Amino acid sequence: MSASSMKSIKNRIKSISSTMQITKAMELVATSKMRKASERIQKSKPYFNILRETLEDIARDNKDFSSVYTRDRKGKTCHIVIAGDRGLAGGYNSNLFKFIKVNKEDIILPIGKKVSEYFEGADIYTNAYSRAEHIKISDCHAMGNALAKSYEKGEFTRLVISYTSYVNALTQEPKTVSMLPVKIAANEGNSENHRLIIYEPDAETAFANIIPHYLSGMIYGAVSESVASELSARRNAMEAATDNASEMINKLSLEYNRARQASITRELTEIVAGAENLKQRN
Amino acid sequence: MSTFHLQIVTPDGLLFDGQAEKIIVRTIEGDVCILSGHLEYMSPVATGEAKITLEDGKVRLAACSGGLISVRKDITRLVADTFEWAENIDVHRAKKAKEAAEVQLKDKADFEYKLAELKLKRALVRIQVGESLK
Repeated sequence: MSASSMKSIKNRIKSISSTMQITKAMELVATSKMRKASERIQKSKPYFNILRETLEDIARDNKDFSSVYTRDRKGKTCHIVIAGDRGLAGGYNSNLFKFIKVNKEDIILPIGKKVSEYFEGADIYTNAYSRAEHIKISDCHAMGNALAKSYEKGEFTRLVISYTSYVNALTQEPKTVSMLPVKIAANEGNSENHRLIIYEPDAETAFANIIPHYLSGMIYGAVSESVASELSARRNAMEAATDNASEMINKLSLEYNRARQASITRELTEIVAGAENLKQRN
Repeated sequence: MSTFHLQIVTPDGLLFDGQAEKIIVRTIEGDVCILSGHLEYMSPVATGEAKITLEDGKVRLAACSGGLISVRKDITRLVADTFEWAENIDVHRAKKAKEAAEVQLKDKADFEYKLAELKLKRALVRIQVGESLK
């Protein structure tokens, strides 16, 4: 091996270690953001659960209850899809896109830049929320209100949401959940479940008033989970990349040392041979 | 006075969990006051001021918007979209939000009009509650 191959190995080591620095930094950033994101999931859960419970109570306690939000109707589906703004997160975006089933005539509400790009040309509900990272609770309320109105008008008659649910730091699962119409398990005939609650102004109005909050709570929860999933997917991907880089550096340094030794040996042989030559001439 | 268990929940987490003597909130039908021993009750909550009397008799004010109040035998829960104690309100920011909403109201139509209107309402309540401390 020549000096030039030693030089090229050295250059590769250098470039790999600078890549490794980047992946390491991204890993650390994702890890620190992770903690906040998983806290947000925990915090937002009770809000949604109580709203859900209340809706169930209303539907169950009122025998003659009927609402547009619980009836099945024929029509289009609106599909909220939540994914990331950026790549470099392993299979986070592509897993979700592979998983979801979208019909041609479905209306899409993309959350995340990658989703907007993926569904270019589809029937888009609004593109106002194409940056998943910046979604705040107020955005979710705006969405919840708008979606409830459109649903009532019949612009679509089913509402589903697809996101990546955060199981734990190592597992994230793509998921599709139905939001509207609200499916409520039938009363099991247990009379103890039947309570007298005063609803103001009346059960139907109360129900219809809670729906937008319920939707926004659900969207907020899904966004929070997706963000946490994205961060942990990125953390895992970057961790693997860092490991690969350090393995490559090890291999290359071994190769470099071998090349260096080989060139020293060769030089030695040349010197010895030269000295022998001189001796023989004398 | 006897007290009841009150929880205040928003998407940002559990903001209050403890005993209270009295809570006054604005529902979509008007202000209601809940005392201990109230019948089971549920109503959607509008944007407005909330007044809570704690077990030691101290009164706390807050700006509250959206959600519902639900009274059960063992627990009363206020589930709000936003809920800010008066001392945490940034009046300066609320004033800015009010101005921004007023500008939006001038040139937006329909749906966005409604949103701007809601924003304006929230800002006004915040300013009112925030300044009531001074």
